[in-house]
Amino acid sequence: MTRILSSDKLDNCVARWRKAGNKVFGPVKKETTSSYAAVESAAEFDLGLILPDRSVKELFFPQTEPMMRYSIKKQAIDTEDFQPPIEKRIIFGVRPCDASGLAIDDPLFGWDYKDDFWFKRRNNSVIITIACTKSDDFCMCTSLKLAPDSTKGADVMLRPLQNGKGWQVEELTDRGREAVKEIADLLQDSAEPTAPNAMVPEKFNLDACVAWLRNPENFESSFWKEISMRCIGCGSCTFLCPTCHCFDFQDEGDTYNGIRRKNWDSCSFALFTMHTSGHNPRSTQSARWRQRIMHKFNYFPGKFNVNSCSGCGRCSRQCPVDMGITETLQAISTLQP
Amino acid sequence: MSTQETYKTKVKELLSSGKVKMVIGYKAGTTADRRRPHFMRTPEEVDQLVLDSACITNLSGYLLSEGLLSDGKEIAVFLKPDGIRSINILAAEAQLQSNQVVVLGFDINGSEISALQGERASDFQALTSSSNEARLHKQQHPESARLEQMTPAERFAYWEDAFSRCIKCYACRQACPMCYCRRCIVDNNQPQWVNTSSHTLGNFEWNIVRAFHLAGRCVECGNCGRACPVNIPLGLLNMKMTDEVLQSFNHYPGVSETQEPVLASFKKNDSETFIL
Repeated sequence: MTRILSSDKLDNCVARWRKAGNKVFGPVKKETTSSYAAVESAAEFDLGLILPDRSVKELFFPQTEPMMRYSIKKQAIDTEDFQPPIEKRIIFGVRPCDASGLAIDDPLFGWDYKDDFWFKRRNNSVIITIACTKSDDFCMCTSLKLAPDSTKGADVMLRPLQNGKGWQVEELTDRGREAVKEIADLLQDSAEPTAPNAMVPEKFNLDACVAWLRNPENFESSFWKEISMRCIGCGSCTFLCPTCHCFDFQDEGDTYNGIRRKNWDSCSFALFTMHTSGHNPRSTQSARWRQRIMHKFNYFPGKFNVNSCSGCGRCSRQCPVDMGITETLQAISTLQP
Repeated sequence: MSTQETYKTKVKELLSSGKVKMVIGYKAGTTADRRRPHFMRTPEEVDQLVLDSACITNLSGYLLSEGLLSDGKEIAVFLKPDGIRSINILAAEAQLQSNQVVVLGFDINGSEISALQGERASDFQALTSSSNEARLHKQQHPESARLEQMTPAERFAYWEDAFSRCIKCYACRQACPMCYCRRCIVDNNQPQWVNTSSHTLGNFEWNIVRAFHLAGRCVECGNCGRACPVNIPLGLLNMKMTDEVLQSFNHYPGVSETQEPVLASFKKNDSETFIL
């Protein structure tokens, strides 16, 4: 016997969590695109999506975030910091790849400077993951040694029941236990079996790829030019990625008054590494694509012992020219290290 | 022989004879309905060429990849009528020499494709001129018609909502054959002319700047809308700009390479009614 949450009780849960002072988020399809968005009732959720078009990252690291207000006066410069939000949040129906993405980025946002905006949100959010029973041609979590039911980054794990009428509930962290406690009387005991996980075939040999990437001789390989020839240099893959985390500071306002903002930036952009002198160390698109792959599967694991990819497949799924990490790593898998 | 097989033979000839140094076409993509740009430099690479009704991307923008045309050698590229018009505009705007481009023309009719005869963009003038005529009498897109019926406040709310999804990835710009500036105005950051933030102002600034810069230049190939990862209906803006330019200046972009860029050329008899 395990405890289950039945689908028809979900709306009660949302109401309960909201009443307890939480803002509730989940997968929502609006117009022609989908994301994790705030809801007032469970009816707004679209739990049938394989995964939302946009990753859960943006609830923790938004595209634009005001950091500081400045005002330059004759004698002094006044600054006023914007404070990270402290609202309590329940994020329901997060896909395992998205939740893993958050866990992958945690060490990055805290290794030297501790990013308060990230961690305040992380500490005030409960991630309720739902295991995947469906996948598409782009899903590749298993190639990254994750799975359709990975618990990485999750506070609560829900496994869909075979009858499609609810989920088996498993609390994983204190935050998760707290959130489940608020709805404890809405759960029931049941022996109903869970649905099988989505089948996600392994698409490439990650270890072989990493070995090839770590060989310094391959840095200048002609492979990079060939594989990235059709890259048009947009930021779609990086901005939809649940782990890409690069940002830029921008001062908006006039000479004397304004707001300093932290905005997403992308290694795909030519401007990303442009020096003031006009020199650009990554002057070609192939050098930029190489950087993206090297960063995710060589430099990032070198520093944090984990690949900066959770296999959601958005980079390939949404690429205007049908490129992506899958194709590149599949090609690398076939090369001699 | 199918159009695809006929073209395979032709492309192999172009490459093996040394007439062109590269052919830009399509090959199979990740899923059955996707096609990828395919760059062929040897006859062997032609075996992967696919030409069918899923080959909808306008490939002309690749011709302007840095350094590609600078050696003066010819390149062949698969183009639908919209892509051929792009070549005319790029030539008119001095971005390429049309005699360096071999056009491998084709058109899609439903699930069928047909070959278009001609080698240089100028060989297709009858076709590009007739598309001008067709555009004049084209029935308005139902969504455009719906927008026209709205009050300005309603229309503003519509675009505010649509643009609120913008994440400033610039996929629309990068996918557009007409957005060839080596340094876009939004990348000019000393000073920062256009906000890079995705707030309401920043999103309006970017999307309106993009649409305005394409007025009288857009061939309505749809690359921008298909590239947008959050599905902003960018094509509706471009359609509106095309309508306006057609009505105000009787200008349909890309008919020929001698056509003057409408908003970059001055005529004494231009109507001044648009000046407030």
